[in-house]
Amino acid sequence: MTAGSSQRNAAVALLIFHLYLYGSYQLTELQVCHLCNRTVQNSTALGQFCSASAGLVDGCCCLLRKENTSNADYLIGLDLSNCSLSHVEDLQEASTAAMIDISLNPIVQLNNSLFQGFIQLDNLILPVNLTCPGGNASWNKMEVKGDTRHCEGQKDICNQTGHLSLNCPENSLCAAYGPGFFECSCVDNFHGYKCLREGKFPIIKVFGILGASTVLVSILLWVTQRRKVTSA
Amino acid sequence: MSSPCCGFLAQYTHHHLVAFLLTFFSYVLLHASRKTFSNVKVSISAQWTPSVQNASSPAFSPGETWEENNLFADSDGATLFLGVLDTIFLFSYAVGLYMSGVIGDRMNLRYVLSFGLCGSAIVEFVFGTLTEWLQFYNIYLYCGLWVLNGLLQSAVWPCVVAVMGNWFGKSGRGFVFGLWSACASVGNILGAFLASSVLKYGYEYAFLVTSVLQFAGGVVVFFGLLTSPKEVGLCLESETGLRPVEKDADSHRPLMSDEEDEEGSEEVCDGGYYTIRQGDEEPRETPKAIGFCQAFCLPGVLPYSLAYACLKLVNYSFFFWLPFYLSRNFGWKEAQADRLSVWYDVGGIIGGTIQGLISDFMGKRAPVLAVSLLLAMGALVGYSHSPPDQVVNAALLATTGFFIGGPSNMISSAISADLGRQEALRGSQEALATVTGIVDGTGSIGAAAGQYLVSVIESKLGWMFVFYFFIVMTGCSIVFILPLIVTEIRAMWRERRARAQEL
Repeated sequence: MTAGSSQRNAAVALLIFHLYLYGSYQLTELQVCHLCNRTVQNSTALGQFCSASAGLVDGCCCLLRKENTSNADYLIGLDLSNCSLSHVEDLQEASTAAMIDISLNPIVQLNNSLFQGFIQLDNLILPVNLTCPGGNASWNKMEVKGDTRHCEGQKDICNQTGHLSLNCPENSLCAAYGPGFFECSCVDNFHGYKCLREGKFPIIKVFGILGASTVLVSILLWVTQRRKVTSA
Repeated sequence: MSSPCCGFLAQYTHHHLVAFLLTFFSYVLLHASRKTFSNVKVSISAQWTPSVQNASSPAFSPGETWEENNLFADSDGATLFLGVLDTIFLFSYAVGLYMSGVIGDRMNLRYVLSFGLCGSAIVEFVFGTLTEWLQFYNIYLYCGLWVLNGLLQSAVWPCVVAVMGNWFGKSGRGFVFGLWSACASVGNILGAFLASSVLKYGYEYAFLVTSVLQFAGGVVVFFGLLTSPKEVGLCLESETGLRPVEKDADSHRPLMSDEEDEEGSEEVCDGGYYTIRQGDEEPRETPKAIGFCQAFCLPGVLPYSLAYACLKLVNYSFFFWLPFYLSRNFGWKEAQADRLSVWYDVGGIIGGTIQGLISDFMGKRAPVLAVSLLLAMGALVGYSHSPPDQVVNAALLATTGFFIGGPSNMISSAISADLGRQEALRGSQEALATVTGIVDGTGSIGAAAGQYLVSVIESKLGWMFVFYFFIVMTGCSIVFILPLIVTEIRAMWRERRARAQEL
C-alpha cells in the first residue's frame, strides 16, 4: 500500500512538475511538434544533428533554449519522417529550422509556398518523388539516397546572376527568403507602401512656424485694416 | 514719364495694397492646393494599386509592402478614375460658380471668401491626409469629397474679383488685373514646388501642408480684408487727369461699350460706376444685386463665356495633365515633371500682364486676344513636336503659356470686371460677382467636359490627337469672340479716320 501511495505521490509530483515545465514553456506550445506521435530518435540524421547542436527534443522537434529570451524556444530541427502524412499544409511554426525531414511519407505534391520564409534551412530531406523546392538554383547539393532526396546548402538567390534576373522595385533590396524565394525590403530610411516614403516629416516644426505667423499676420492686418471700419 | 506714373500710383493707399495682396494670395493658396492634386497623381496611383509584375514572375513579398492595396487592379484604372475626379471637380466647381456669384453679390464678400477657403481646406485634408492615415480608400468617398471641394472652392473666385473691382477702377484696370490675375499661375508654381519638396515624405503630407496653408489664409482674410473702399469711408478715386495710358476723353467709358461720352458728367463715390448725377435729386440707394438671367443677357457676357469655355479647357488640361504627360511620354520623374510644368505658368503670368498692358494702351481688348490666340495655335503645334530635351521643352512650354494663359487670364479677370461694370448697369445693380461667376462657370463646364475628353482621347488615340483637339478648341474660342473683334476693329478704324480728318 505504502509503496503504491508513494508511487502515486511521485506520479502526481512528476505530473505537477511537468505541468510547471509545460507552463513555463508558455505560449510556445508548437503544434507542429506533435504532428507525429513520437520523438526524435538518436539514430536518425536529425537526431544526430540535434545532439550535435545541444538541443532539446520535444515531440518531433529539436529545440534550442535561448538564454536571453525568457522561455522562448528556438526550433532548429523537425522530424516528420515516416509519419503517414499525405499532405503537409503549414509548417510556418518551424520557419527557423535548419534541418527538416519529411521523407518516407506518401506526399504527392508540395505546396509552392511551403518553405517560404525558411531562411535558415540548410538540410532538407524529402520523399524521392518530390523535387527540391527552388530547384538547382537554390541548393548547393542535391542527391538521392535510396528512397529519400537530400537538398543541402541553401543558396542565396539574390546573389546569383543568370536567367533569373531578380529586380526588386526602387528603394528596396533583395534578401533571401527561403529556398527559391526572395524578399524585397525597403532600403534604409525608406518605408511604407512600395517603399515610396522617405524620412519623417517635421510636423511640429512646420506647423509651429505656420501657426505663429498666421496669428501675427492676422493681428497686424486687423489692427491696420479692419479696426477702422466705419460702416457695417 | 515719372509724374504720370507717380500720379497713377498716388491714388492708391496702403488699403489698396493689402486688398490686392490678400485677394492675390487667397487665390494663390487655392490654386496651390488644386495643383497639389495633379502633381501627386503618380504617387496616388501607386498607392492605390498592387505592384506590377510579368505574368510569369511571382508577386513580391512581403505582401503588405507590395501587394496589399488594390483599390484598382492596375494603373490604367487608377488613371481613368483620376480623370473622372477632375471632371467631377470641375462640374461641381462650375455649378458652384453660378451660385456663388449670385451669393457674393448679396452677402458680405469677406464671410463668403473665408468660408470658402477654410471649408475647402478641411475637405482637402480629409481627402488626402485623413484617408491615408486611416488607410481607408473608397471610391465613393473620394468622389463625394471632391464634389464638396468644388462647391466650396467656387466661392472664392467671384469674391476676389468683386473685391478687386471694388478697389480698382477703370484706369489701368487692364494692367492691374493682368498683374493680379497672375495669382492662378503663381498658385500653380507654389503648389508645384510645395508638392515636389514634400512628396518624398508621402503624398498625404503634400495635401496636409497645402490644406493647412489654405486654412491659415482663410483666417487671415477674415481678420484683415476690407471688401470695398466704402468700408473705411474712402471713395474709389476718379480718374480725372491721372491717366497715363489713355489720351482722349473717351477713356471714361468702359472699354467694352460703344456709347458716346456724356458731357458734364461727375464722378460720384459709388464704387466706380460712371453715372450721371444732376444735382441731388435722387437719394442714393444701396445698389441691388442683379438677377442671374439679366446678368447673362448683358452685352458681351455670352460670347466671352463661350470663348472662355474653350480656352479654359485647354488651359486646365495643361494644368491637370502636364506632369502626367511629361512623365509618361518622356519618362521623366514626377518631381522633375512638376518643376518643368512651372514654365507654362511663368509664360501665363508674363502673357497676362503684358497683354493687359497692351489692351490698356489700345483701349480695346478683343483684338489683342485674337492675335494671341492665333499665335497660340502655332505654339501648340510646336509644343506637340517637342524633342525630349528639357531645356527646349521648357522654352516651348513658356511660349505656349504666354499665348494661351494670357488671353485666359484676361478674360477671367479684366474682361469680367469690364462686363460687370458696364454702362448698361447704370450703377443701380451689383453685378460684378454674378458676371464673374457666369463667365468662369461656363469656362469650368468647358474645362470639365474637356478633362473627360482628354483622358478618353489619350487612351484611344494617343497624345498627338489630344494636341489636335487643343488646337481645334483654341480656334473655336476665336470664332466665338469674332463678332466682338469685328465691332472693336471697326470702332478703331472709325476713330483713326476721325482723328485723321481732324488734322
